[in-house]
Amino acid sequence: MIDNGWDEFEIGAMLRSFDGAVKDIATTLQEDRPYSKNNSFTASVADWRIEKPVFNKDYCIDCQFCWIYCPDISIISRDKKMVGIDYDHCKGCAICVEVCPTNPKSLLMFEEKMDEDEALAGWPEKENKEK
Amino acid sequence: MSEMKKIKNLKEFSTSADRFEGANLLCPGCAHSIIVREILNATNDDLILSASTGCLEVCTAVYPYTSWDASWIHIGFENGSTAVAGAEAMYKALKRKGRLKQPDREPKFVSFAGDGASYDIGFQWISGCFERGHNIMHVVLDNEVYANTGGQRSSSTPIGSSTTTAPAGRVSYGEKQNKKDMLAIMAAHGAPYVAQVAPNKWKDMIKKIQHGFAVEGPVFINAMSACTTEWKFLPEDTIAISDLATDSLVFPLYEIIDGTKLNITYRPKNVIPVKDYLGAQGRFKHLFKPENKHVLDEWQKRVDEKWEYLQRREEAGV
Amino acid sequence: MAEKMELRDIEVWDGNMAASQAMRQVQIDVVAAYPITPSTPIVENYGSFLANGYVDGEFVMVESEHAAMSGCIGASAAGGRVATATSSQGFALMVETLYQASGMRLPVILNVVNRALAAPLNVNGDHSDMYLGRDSGWIQFDAYNPQNAYDLNFIAFRVAEDHEVRLPAMVHQDGFLTSHTAQGVHTLDDDTAYSFVGDFKPMNDMLDLDHPVTHGVQTEEDWHFEHKARQHHDLMTKVFPRIQAAFDAFEKLTGRKYNIVETYNTDDADAVVVCMGTAVETAVEVSNELREEGKKVGVIGIRVIRPWPYDQLLDALKGIKAIGALDRSSPNGTFGMLYNELAGTVVNGDEKKVLTNYVYGLGGRDLLKSQLREIYAELLANAEAGKPTTPLQQLIGVRGPKISFH
Ligand SMILES: Cc1ncc(C[n+]2csc(CCOP(=O)(O)OP(=O)(O)O)c2C)c(N)n1
Ligand code: SF4
Ligand code: SF4
Ligand code: SF4
Ligand SMILES: [Mg+2]
Repeated sequence: MIDNGWDEFEIGAMLRSFDGAVKDIATTLQEDRPYSKNNSFTASVADWRIEKPVFNKDYCIDCQFCWIYCPDISIISRDKKMVGIDYDHCKGCAICVEVCPTNPKSLLMFEEKMDEDEALAGWPEKENKEK
Repeated sequence: MSEMKKIKNLKEFSTSADRFEGANLLCPGCAHSIIVREILNATNDDLILSASTGCLEVCTAVYPYTSWDASWIHIGFENGSTAVAGAEAMYKALKRKGRLKQPDREPKFVSFAGDGASYDIGFQWISGCFERGHNIMHVVLDNEVYANTGGQRSSSTPIGSSTTTAPAGRVSYGEKQNKKDMLAIMAAHGAPYVAQVAPNKWKDMIKKIQHGFAVEGPVFINAMSACTTEWKFLPEDTIAISDLATDSLVFPLYEIIDGTKLNITYRPKNVIPVKDYLGAQGRFKHLFKPENKHVLDEWQKRVDEKWEYLQRREEAGV
Repeated sequence: MAEKMELRDIEVWDGNMAASQAMRQVQIDVVAAYPITPSTPIVENYGSFLANGYVDGEFVMVESEHAAMSGCIGASAAGGRVATATSSQGFALMVETLYQASGMRLPVILNVVNRALAAPLNVNGDHSDMYLGRDSGWIQFDAYNPQNAYDLNFIAFRVAEDHEVRLPAMVHQDGFLTSHTAQGVHTLDDDTAYSFVGDFKPMNDMLDLDHPVTHGVQTEEDWHFEHKARQHHDLMTKVFPRIQAAFDAFEKLTGRKYNIVETYNTDDADAVVVCMGTAVETAVEVSNELREEGKKVGVIGIRVIRPWPYDQLLDALKGIKAIGALDRSSPNGTFGMLYNELAGTVVNGDEKKVLTNYVYGLGGRDLLKSQLREIYAELLANAEAGKPTTPLQQLIGVRGPKISFH
């Protein structure tokens, strides 16, 4: 695509979101969609991150705050459960961590290179919040 | 009329399949996309969308990528409302003539635009669309500044904010004018529904958006969009700043039905001082110098007066 | 269903009525429009057709010409037949959106009733607005009389909406001189007119809900040039064959023959004027008279301004020794557009031609037959001398001392 010449694309710089016809896209989950190569879903912004969020399901209460406030559709929730992070589209803003209400948090930011198991192994204990 | 999507609680809402995609180029932590997600996810109906030139537009349709899973158009900075109104007119024409490809589906027409594109340069286009009564929803992503072009003032910029065209300096505290009251202006058009929303109050937002989709005629939504880059706060604080905005009543949440009936839709349990909101953002930092104390006082006074006014309007039922 | 209108074979219509009747007959889905003299009657006539049941599309009376074209773009991208009309300042206000319509390859039809551009303010016809649109990526047709204005609308819809073309098109006519001058116009009945243009065939339509589409993207230095190159290429190569085919089909249907470049008395001519709009008709009259006096003079009328008919002009200009380019727009600091484009057209040919420029008729000033006779006399002198015998650019019909350059 990136090397296409002037005669190798649709007129009017028009882009299609999907390959072929889609019905009920509003109720079709991402994994079941026929994304076209022009859909930004197929691209990645992983290299924007300096830190990444890591999810620890042990503490998660599936409140879905992280899902609704993630600007980048990178919290994967299925059947009302938080299941993980989409690291292709996560920009590392840490909003999800900020809004996570559990103690300790079920999402924390770690250095991008950090191994996930290592991150989970070093997860902080419950914090005594003095008021 | 298509059925309204049932969203009892956040868990249920989280089963939505987003029609807005990641790997767009908006800043990390940008509230524009949180707002767009909440609005698109409020319905399962088909959507025909437009965006006016601005951050949302330049970050979500950069060739050869689109982040939109519904039909979408951008023409220019000022005319996104009219773009979608034109599409709505075509829908009506083809429906009457029996030429719709999916005649049993009723798409919703939504125009997204910044405060610059709505309060300033696109004002006339929006006014025209509302006067003519197109069945569209116009959503302002109100970050109170021309963010896309690097932070110039708009007529939505509030007093005391430092912008690149009205910067704070040795003899200036920044923006001198107060924010334009677009909701009042749009209500004066007799629009069936006008509302202010904030992404942190998602439930209030969904309710209003669904109300907006259910009514016939033009709907105006002013959505507070905290901008990490121009308001100068850390990306992770977008929701926290939004909470400060709604809980200090700087962004009161209310709706105006049929041009007159005003309802307040969120009453903070503990109203926090306006300076707590201002102090959390770099754009207001200079207001905390002793010589600018009068601006802080002015701010609190205006917010109090506005809240007072809204309450009186609500009480009076007009 | 819209009601059909019974038309006489010949109706007495001015250019505005001719254009509005054509717009009615092709059953436009959305017209978004705003009035401005002298194109206002197009919008008014269309409104009255709607009010009387002759139109079943949407008619959106917007709050400005910019909104008119914006609404047309949205409607066209949604997927249906779209048109509007404007003049002068209204056209100028639309300019931003003209580029957007053509860049998105949306086949909007715009009737432009030509009028001068302020300041000073003037409501009469010249070609300033037409010239302003010439780099905007639209196809531009030029009508010389109400009959042309009627006929060229059908041609414009047929060509613009062709999937090989998908470019917007303007049909120009002269303000007042054509738009407000009633003449006999040969009509087509509603069914024949509609079927000449045919049903609208959607392409990349936003309202096809099963195929979501993104229109109006951002491109920077990595992609912009390729898209512009594609559009330019299609204008340069795809449009003329389609226009020619439409002209041929139209001639077969009506007997009325149009050419991309119109020529009158040019076969053995020594000198021609090249012009547009109503000036063509006046010039033809004068050249006929001069022919009777034995003077070998002719007229070339530009029928399609964009794309520029380079080949057709080279052909038409064969053997001609002196050319007068007649521009009805103030060049404001250079030669007239026609002069420059003709210079570019003939400069590489083997034949030596003398080209001079006349600026005439600004703000609706009449072009007199006596002035044309003088122009022809000068051109014949140029032909004889094989070089210019006058200044290269002259403003004609302007009060005060003679004004000319180079
Ligand atoms: C006619 C025109 N004038 C100016 C611009 C430059 N411009 C593009 S976006 C923009 C500011 C957008 O501000 P806003 O509408 O508030 O959206 P934001 O980027 O803040 O979301 C400006 C000034 C333009 N594109 N078109
Ligand atoms: S860090 Fe930001 S982008 Fe990444 S998952 Fe969390 S909220 Fe989403
Ligand atoms: S915010 Fe925290 S607790 Fe709630 S769903 Fe997300 S990870 Fe789980
Ligand atoms: S500048 Fe502000 S509005 Fe624009 S993308 Fe960044 S955070 Fe969003
Ligand atoms: Mg803004």
